[in-house]
Amino acid sequence: MPIPSPFHERTAPLCKSLRWKDWSGYAAVCSYEVTHDREYFAFRESAGLLDVSPLFKYEVQGPDATALLSRMMTRDVSMMKVGRVMYSCWCDDRGKVVDDGTVSRLAEDHYRVTAADPSLHWIQDCGRSLNVRLEYSSARIAAAALQGPNSRRILVAGGATEVEALKFFGVTRSSLDGVSVWISRTGYTGDLGFEIWSDAKDAVKIWDALMAAGKPLGIEPAGLDALDVTRIEAGFILLGIDYFSSPKVVLEARKSTPDELGFGWMIDFDKDGRSNFIGRDTIQKERARKPAWHLVGLEVAWEELEALYSSFNLPPSLPATARRDGLPVYCDDGRQVGKATSHTWSPILKKYLVIASVIEGFAEKGTKLELEHTVEFERRKVGATVVPTPFYDPERKRKP
Amino acid sequence: MATSYDAIVIGAGPNGLAAAARLAKAGKKVLILERGASPGGLSARREFHPGYAVPGILHDDALTTKKVVHKLDLEKHGLRFRAKPATYVAERNGPGLLLDADPAKAANAIAQRSRHDAEQYTLYRAFLGRIAPAIQSVLGDTPPPLTPRGLGELIDLARRGLVALKLKRHDILELARVAPMCVADFLNEKFQLPFLVEALAAPAVASTWNGPWSAGTTTNLLLRECAGGEAIAGGPAALVAALSAAVSAARVEVRRGAEVTRIIVQKGAVTGVRVASGEEIESAVVLSSADPKRTMLTMVPPGTLPVAIENEYRRFRCRGTAAKIHLALSGPLEFQATGGKLHEAIQIGGGHVDDLERAYDAIKYRQFSRQPNLEIRVPTVGDPLLAPKGHHVVSILASYAPHALEGGWTAAAKQAFGDAVMAQLEPHAPELRRFLVASEVLTPHDLETEFALTGGQLHHGEIALDQLLVMRPAPSAARYATSVPGLYLGGAGSHPGGGVRPTAGILAAEAVLAR
Amino acid sequence: MNGVRKYDAVIVGAGHNGLICAAYLAKAGRKVLVLERRHQVGGATTTEEIYPGFKYTCCSYVVSLLRPWIIRDLELPKYGYEILPLEETFTPFPDGRFLLRGTDPEANRRAMAAFSPRDAEVYKRFGQEMAELGRLVKPVIDDLAPDPVSRNPKELLKLARLAKGLRGQGAPNEDTWLVGNLKMMTMSAVDFLSEWFECEQLIAPMSVSGIIGTFLGVRSPGTAYVLLHHYMGEIDGSYRAWGLPKGGTGAIADAIAASARALGVEIRLEAPVDHVLLEKGTARGVVLENGEEIRAKAVISGVDPHRTFLKLVGEKNLDPEIAQQVKRFKMRGSSGKVNLALDGLPEFTCLPGYGNHLRGDITIAPSIDYLERAYDDAKYGRFSRQPFMDVVIPSLTDPTVAPPGKHTMSIFVQYAPYNLKEGAADWPNQREAFGDAVIDTLAEYAPNIKERILHRQVLSPWDLEQIYGLTEGNIFHGELSLEQLAFLRPIAGWSRYKTPVDKLWMCASGTHPGGGIMGAPGALCARTMLEKRAV
Repeated sequence: MPIPSPFHERTAPLCKSLRWKDWSGYAAVCSYEVTHDREYFAFRESAGLLDVSPLFKYEVQGPDATALLSRMMTRDVSMMKVGRVMYSCWCDDRGKVVDDGTVSRLAEDHYRVTAADPSLHWIQDCGRSLNVRLEYSSARIAAAALQGPNSRRILVAGGATEVEALKFFGVTRSSLDGVSVWISRTGYTGDLGFEIWSDAKDAVKIWDALMAAGKPLGIEPAGLDALDVTRIEAGFILLGIDYFSSPKVVLEARKSTPDELGFGWMIDFDKDGRSNFIGRDTIQKERARKPAWHLVGLEVAWEELEALYSSFNLPPSLPATARRDGLPVYCDDGRQVGKATSHTWSPILKKYLVIASVIEGFAEKGTKLELEHTVEFERRKVGATVVPTPFYDPERKRKP
Repeated sequence: MATSYDAIVIGAGPNGLAAAARLAKAGKKVLILERGASPGGLSARREFHPGYAVPGILHDDALTTKKVVHKLDLEKHGLRFRAKPATYVAERNGPGLLLDADPAKAANAIAQRSRHDAEQYTLYRAFLGRIAPAIQSVLGDTPPPLTPRGLGELIDLARRGLVALKLKRHDILELARVAPMCVADFLNEKFQLPFLVEALAAPAVASTWNGPWSAGTTTNLLLRECAGGEAIAGGPAALVAALSAAVSAARVEVRRGAEVTRIIVQKGAVTGVRVASGEEIESAVVLSSADPKRTMLTMVPPGTLPVAIENEYRRFRCRGTAAKIHLALSGPLEFQATGGKLHEAIQIGGGHVDDLERAYDAIKYRQFSRQPNLEIRVPTVGDPLLAPKGHHVVSILASYAPHALEGGWTAAAKQAFGDAVMAQLEPHAPELRRFLVASEVLTPHDLETEFALTGGQLHHGEIALDQLLVMRPAPSAARYATSVPGLYLGGAGSHPGGGVRPTAGILAAEAVLAR
Repeated sequence: MNGVRKYDAVIVGAGHNGLICAAYLAKAGRKVLVLERRHQVGGATTTEEIYPGFKYTCCSYVVSLLRPWIIRDLELPKYGYEILPLEETFTPFPDGRFLLRGTDPEANRRAMAAFSPRDAEVYKRFGQEMAELGRLVKPVIDDLAPDPVSRNPKELLKLARLAKGLRGQGAPNEDTWLVGNLKMMTMSAVDFLSEWFECEQLIAPMSVSGIIGTFLGVRSPGTAYVLLHHYMGEIDGSYRAWGLPKGGTGAIADAIAASARALGVEIRLEAPVDHVLLEKGTARGVVLENGEEIRAKAVISGVDPHRTFLKLVGEKNLDPEIAQQVKRFKMRGSSGKVNLALDGLPEFTCLPGYGNHLRGDITIAPSIDYLERAYDDAKYGRFSRQPFMDVVIPSLTDPTVAPPGKHTMSIFVQYAPYNLKEGAADWPNQREAFGDAVIDTLAEYAPNIKERILHRQVLSPWDLEQIYGLTEGNIFHGELSLEQLAFLRPIAGWSRYKTPVDKLWMCASGTHPGGGIMGAPGALCARTMLEKRAV
């Protein structure tokens, strides 16, 4: 049975729709109301407050903390200043991606790592013979995400004045209503947003502080359904949906290299004095060849979709929520060249957006492909074009 | 200033010396780095008390083959073989049994006690004789590639298969049947004399983390009994001496008191080593005869190996389970039952294979055996110069004594174990106390400290069914080359395993030469 | 009647394998007679009302590996075969903690994280790897034993294909994958699990799967691969991992018997066979204890190899080499059963009250030392003073086996060595003490158990031999150790159901692929006999 998160006392009474799901063993709200629209628009127009406590969190501390993470992460952690956050992936010995997450440097020898999947054993294995202290801090730390154009103003109004100067992917100590917290300028909606990390016992206080400060600024509690739409708009991929963790899959074909996931920019090679990161040699060898496939964004041709429904005498109808059912992607001569793994109607862009994996040769921007679409139990196809991601990328996300 | 070498060999025990000699024979410039004051490692002569020496910590179990000796021309350097000494199996309240190396003589002795067992013994030795060539071919050769790549490896695999097929179908089936068996079942099928079963079983489990009722111990037995080796005149120390001479003749440089603390890996490949003094020495090839855990987890910088391979070495089990006891006697080790005859090799157990199993049970609970099983050698019988005239040294391998003893190997624990050993020995040789000049007890903990031996495990890694052949010490290093280019493992922790024989070193050297 | 061949095949013993063999032969149009000594079918697959109103699943108590293709071929659900889920595994510890593993993976992770967060994460991956290994090994149990010493090219091709399948697919450097499998075949359960897990509270209860029905300890080499069996049931697609048969395991035998009868098989109860009728070394039929002769084209033994060769055939009628090999085939029963009728439920101190933990598998295996000490007792001819126990309360899932509000409890116990120090025949003198040791141990965790007991049945290996005809009380018709498996089972070279005695076949657990309620030996024997036109 899923258990309550530290915010449950507040989220449960608000979830009038009774729509919950199990996120890493915690009860997480899908949507507070019967539809997620209000929550989505809060993310995009004011601010949405999302409980992200089920994320896995680890404290890596000690003189060799940097060495451990340098070994584990593909990005060069030793380059990080205190107060910065890094988004990186980590790979297995064969250069296949295990997971992706953030690394926050809270102090010289103190990092916090977040991950979608349990990763303690991985971090432990990286740290054997190293002088480090590891803490599995997931249950101890509550996390809330406040995302949207008003998020900064709400935090400042709540007493977290440090966020005024907080740059994109920065992290700082702060406080809300007198409660000590860490606040990072990170998030999963691809917009201006912050994540607040507190002691689990302070969760309710934090919630109340944010809701009070945010009331005049349009704050709304938001659930995972709304998040899913925004993250697709932002072009963010999701472990277990758009790609799979290497140790967890049976088929070699299901594993991914960083380049195949568009994580190529996370590979830091050949920094002098930098120790070998796991998978480095294989990744380097693989780079001599082109990746076998690529994660791309697709935009479906709306007119074609309308015409398709028209041919059935129906108005176009797309599911209300973001979808994770896999759909085949074809090239123009009918061969299947990929699969769509996440797709959603974007209310703000008024487009049908798709995250898909396609084989090499079909990933160039502008390539015209076809996506399967079922109308009246008949399988048809509609045109979709490869476009750059993120689909939605507002300036305010990173500036000032 | 460091000169550079074609190869650096870590450790000057038999494997290290042999590896160096083999490489030098092929024209390579070789340096041996030995941490101790003299070469030999566990096979070195040890003067444990002024005037009294044992010719090695390890006992010579006749594992060194003529083939290996010829490969390095060791006879030219003074190595001599001798007849294997008979083993006297002591018996409480009984005359005991002398098992000669010659099967017919042994059968005769057994016949005095049991006709049935004498017949069985003859059949048993005949079976061993028939399967011996196949086993020797396995022990004397590099482990096979399990998944052959390329025609060359396929032919190699086929060739090995043919050797195996030379055996009669009957013997193949029997071998397949008995290899996974526990040695107690295997021997109980044949013999009825309980103390004979125990005595034949004991060598199969000494220094392992198994008892006679553990599956797979018959394989240990067969690997020992069919090794096809010769006993060395002068014991392990004589092998070391011959190898040292060979090494010296080949102009190999040997540095003593030079402990390797780091194997230097740059850009993913070996470039040399660093010793305790801080000096760095260059070479593109490092062949380590130190135990695999020590080599790969402490000498190789942490973080160099892929996690999966690092885990292979972490999982390699090397728990020491035997202790060495050395006694200096001012007179002979005379057994009451033998009426004055001195024996060189003696087995002392409880009289039943269950006693051996009980001795093993203790280590499961992190205790030492209250009634340890003793494998004894009195090397002065063959080589009187190891002690003053008329005096003797006794070398005892006592099982079982765990490395991780509950409460640790305190002085009191060591004393208690020594007493337990004496309590096993004294009833057979009542004059013992009278002649006792000095004694030394080396627990697995002592062995670890003094010989840099992980876990105090005398074979550098437990002999167990899952740690043999292609799995020794790890799949990534099964054929001596490790996953780090230029780094090779060629000690007892590689195939064919421990004991006094330099085979691993030679095969590792050949792997270096083959690349 | 003399000289008239009434039957195509006569089968000795109506255990589940004998019945399955009969059914498959009948399906192919053969006339089959099954002779059973007892008053009911099933052998050790039995449900009996030992105490009025309470149906004990006397011997076997769970099923997972009954081959799905057999279930389909014989239409067993039509004849009453129904499996109820056994979902939880509950392990109480003496310090008041417990481990409860069930169907919610996240809840399992939390439960295990209380002992070791690392192990909790690794558990899922372990299960996945085991399932993958099990999937690739499964063909071995659904087919004839591979013969690696054969020089027959067809055999070698088969072996090559099996090896290829075992190699897996895709990634380079498959050496490590194959070696991993080899390691699994030779390691002990504890060593194997210790490569994955660190906390004893997880390793101990998991390791017991490796020793069930064997005379080995959890630290004994050769116990790791038995763990695989546990995972082979998991991925079958046929219902769930381990399940409780509705009506006890006797209901399985009844269903098979009903299917067999519907196919035309004749089953005679209370018809004990005295010996195989041999004429010039060929089996021509059987002779019952009452002297009645029954002839058939072929005789099939559904009893264990010792009973088959040394009793039914007789040592004097065997080649001495064969007789010796048979005698060397180790039986060595090591387990006992205690079956209880209860007037209420046990109350576990560490988790009081009613809950799902009572509806699943309750394992008493608190530490590795505990399990080893239990094994040590047996090695030296004593029953374990503090035994390992696997407890289920079938009535909670299947109310048909006990009156309302009352319960049956089935306790599988190790170790109870057949060969006591005082001799096997001393079991009647030690039986109650053994039962007491079991109940006393259980009472340490559930103190109220003693007051709840209405009736107690204790079955030692000696009782299993006396009542069910299991030589030395070995539940698998012979130890499942490496040297007695596959092409070596029951004797080298005779693993494909044919015996050295002409026209005598073997179809039960003493042949490949071994014991447990699998049904494969019976079905494969029938298939082989039909292919070879032996019947």
